[in-house]
Amino acid sequence: MKKYNLTFISIVFLVLPIFLLLMGDFKERTLLKDSISILTIIAFCLMSGQLFLNRNYRKIRHDMKMSSVVKIHKFIGYSFLVVLLVHPFLIVVPRFFESGVEPIDAFMTIITTFNSLGVILGIIAWCLLLVLGITSMFRNKLKFSYKTWRVFHGILAFAFIVFAVWHVIDLGRHINFLMSVYLIAIAFFGIVLLLNTYLFNSSTRV
Amino acid sequence: MSIQSINGCIGCETCIKMCPTDVIRLDPKTKKAVIKYPADCQICHLCRMYCPVDAITISPEKSIPVIVSWG
Amino acid sequence: MTIQSGINKITRRNFLALAGGTVGMAALASMGVPASFIENNLEIDLDKIDHQENEADVLVIGGGMAGLFAAVKAHDAGAKVMLVSKGSLGSSGQTPFAKGIFAYDKDLTNVSLDEFVDQVSRSAIGTNNPVYTKQMAEHSLARVTDLREWGFFDSPLYNNSFNKPIKERNIPVMERITITHLIKENDRIAGAAGFSVDEEKVHFFNAKSVILCTGAGGFKPNGFPICDLTHDGTVMAYNIGAKVTGKEWNDGHPGQSINAASCFDGWHGMFERKPGLTSVEIHHDLGVDMNYMAYMNGNPLQMGPPGMNNQKGSTGGPYRPEEFSRKEPPGGDNKPPGREQPKEGGAPPGMGGTVVGGSSAGMSIHKSEGLVPINDKCESTIPGLYAAGDALGSYMAGAIYTQIGSSLAGSAVQGAVAAEAAAKYSKYIEFQNISKNVMNKIEEEILAPLKRDAGYSPAWVTQTLQGIMIPNFVLYIKKESMLKAALAYIEELRDHHMPMLKAADMHELRLAHETRNMILSAEMKLKASIMRTESRCSHYRLDYPDMDNENWQAWINIYKGSDETMQFEKQPFDSWPNGKRIIV
Repeated sequence: MKKYNLTFISIVFLVLPIFLLLMGDFKERTLLKDSISILTIIAFCLMSGQLFLNRNYRKIRHDMKMSSVVKIHKFIGYSFLVVLLVHPFLIVVPRFFESGVEPIDAFMTIITTFNSLGVILGIIAWCLLLVLGITSMFRNKLKFSYKTWRVFHGILAFAFIVFAVWHVIDLGRHINFLMSVYLIAIAFFGIVLLLNTYLFNSSTRV
Repeated sequence: MSIQSINGCIGCETCIKMCPTDVIRLDPKTKKAVIKYPADCQICHLCRMYCPVDAITISPEKSIPVIVSWG
Repeated sequence: MTIQSGINKITRRNFLALAGGTVGMAALASMGVPASFIENNLEIDLDKIDHQENEADVLVIGGGMAGLFAAVKAHDAGAKVMLVSKGSLGSSGQTPFAKGIFAYDKDLTNVSLDEFVDQVSRSAIGTNNPVYTKQMAEHSLARVTDLREWGFFDSPLYNNSFNKPIKERNIPVMERITITHLIKENDRIAGAAGFSVDEEKVHFFNAKSVILCTGAGGFKPNGFPICDLTHDGTVMAYNIGAKVTGKEWNDGHPGQSINAASCFDGWHGMFERKPGLTSVEIHHDLGVDMNYMAYMNGNPLQMGPPGMNNQKGSTGGPYRPEEFSRKEPPGGDNKPPGREQPKEGGAPPGMGGTVVGGSSAGMSIHKSEGLVPINDKCESTIPGLYAAGDALGSYMAGAIYTQIGSSLAGSAVQGAVAAEAAAKYSKYIEFQNISKNVMNKIEEEILAPLKRDAGYSPAWVTQTLQGIMIPNFVLYIKKESMLKAALAYIEELRDHHMPMLKAADMHELRLAHETRNMILSAEMKLKASIMRTESRCSHYRLDYPDMDNENWQAWINIYKGSDETMQFEKQPFDSWPNGKRIIV
């Protein structure tokens, strides 16, 4: 058994979304814009994948040690959390290099469009993600018992994924039917596994 | 066909207001901008330049026959 | 469904069969071509159409460069101002696309103000009003300074910088309202009326004075961003008896042959530029020379600067004063496309590659067509009615493009001049009561296209009008027989189709009124062109190729006669409408 087996994760959360992206009828834009889009999409898919990259992983796959799973979970969590947190700003970055609305004006318009459900969902998801990140970073300072922590982290993750998937389906530039199905499926199974763990499984610390 | 598609619209209505020829309107159900009167698009790109999320794609072709003075 | 006054009852199915079968109709519809005479499938509830009354000392109509200064300066002069615009502030008409603004700075040029005016006058061959030429140059730097303070030069998009002074002053702005009527009571202005495209609402404006900043217009041509400009100001002022002028002159801009309708591409990225300053540079540009060459030699036209007259067989043709013949490619006034692009502002270079004609069809030279001013205060022949920018026939540049960037500067300057005059006028006058009868009649006229069970779609009538007016042998290279032939078609549209324009929603209602305005403009343009039996500046007659200084040192004014017919008169180049001499 390899220490790390990333094949499964990469196929489901990296290759599949990129495949769906290429299959979709999306307009090619500038390299910068497309790079930002792809980075954000990958970040989101991998972040959704976090629902599996925990104790649940070992329920469906048995090719990694739990410590490796935790390592990957932390790596993906911290790095792509940053991408998702800055993505509202990344959206307006290309405006620095082209003519049109000023990036700051564009950003202000985005975050003040409260008649849009998608924007509100996005802001909520963003805040949840921020809390997820900060609490993970300062987990030791929280002095939660492992069980409390797990429920706390799980509930936040659950709330985040619901708001975020909804936000993405409502506003995503690269959303089509297949992409929506994919995201809903990931979220759904992730949540099912999560609930399963909490309701029917009383694990102990690794 | 002139203004072609709007992807990733957040419903801020900026393009609707900035279009000189009233081509774009808000879909009352989805609360997103839709290309309602494409035949009147003069392909000036103001909507695209004003859009805060750069959601608008425009092609240079006109959706109705083009009449010129000589050609 | 009924076709006009019940001549015969006809079902939609029968009608489609008559019109060449459903397949043909479907094919047309799939191309986006509207069928001509069709049932009006109303998409709004007529009973829900609301009505709102508004009031202001000075009502500014139009939200471009002239409207901005008209509103700001009238407010600063103490008037209660309201600005109403068909589009949005700084994002409709030609203003958003004008990237060069002229500033006469005596410290930066060795051309004196008087020399500048003389040089423009020589290029314009007498067609300019030197008072307005001088006024533009004199005030241009001050207006540019205002604009700089509002951040105008910091962005290629003008909505923010235009909103800044308006918001600072709390000037009420009503956007996306199409004004269709000016209201006159007791021989002076009393207000205006129009409708909102968003709200299904008719608006009445009670005002002591009105400043028309409605821009120029065209026939919704392909290649120029003027499809929202249909001479609305000219037509509504004409309808209440104002004199209008300049209908025989032509803006002769060509467009690119590939995707001729795409003005963004045709102007090669100019729309994305930040505005910049232009300095003294006087030409005699964009008349009909290129159109003449294309007419005589056919297309593809060798792209040389118009007026170089270096093409085989194109001897003769439009006259250009020797002093202004040029060897470099031309620049428009604020206008189109070409090769090397400066980083910001400036005038656009000449069109590159193969070109086609008529990209600005239906538009005259900036500031040569519009309301006739009776003095240097932008005042029209109707007391209380002012106009500024392209809505005013000030002949600031004459009947040909002279100083690059002067259009935008002129709109700013005239907006401010008209504002001060209107604010002063409003101080000493009372509001007038607009009677219920008048309001009902106007509301009826505004909504008429919505109330027709059947009729002609504005899009189809517009396309028909374009087919009549845009070919180069009509308004570009003119002769009496063709002008009269085109006039016969236009009179048919005026008499038969205009009264039957239909609209299914507020967007189409706007198109219906725009189409009506274009038909009346076309009539004015053809008749004025027939009347001017000479060639001068941007007006070229094959049957009268020479300048006639004996009979035609005069502008043509158009007004509605007491019998409602279109009347024409000459106004000598050196005088105001009342006969007083123009003294610089």
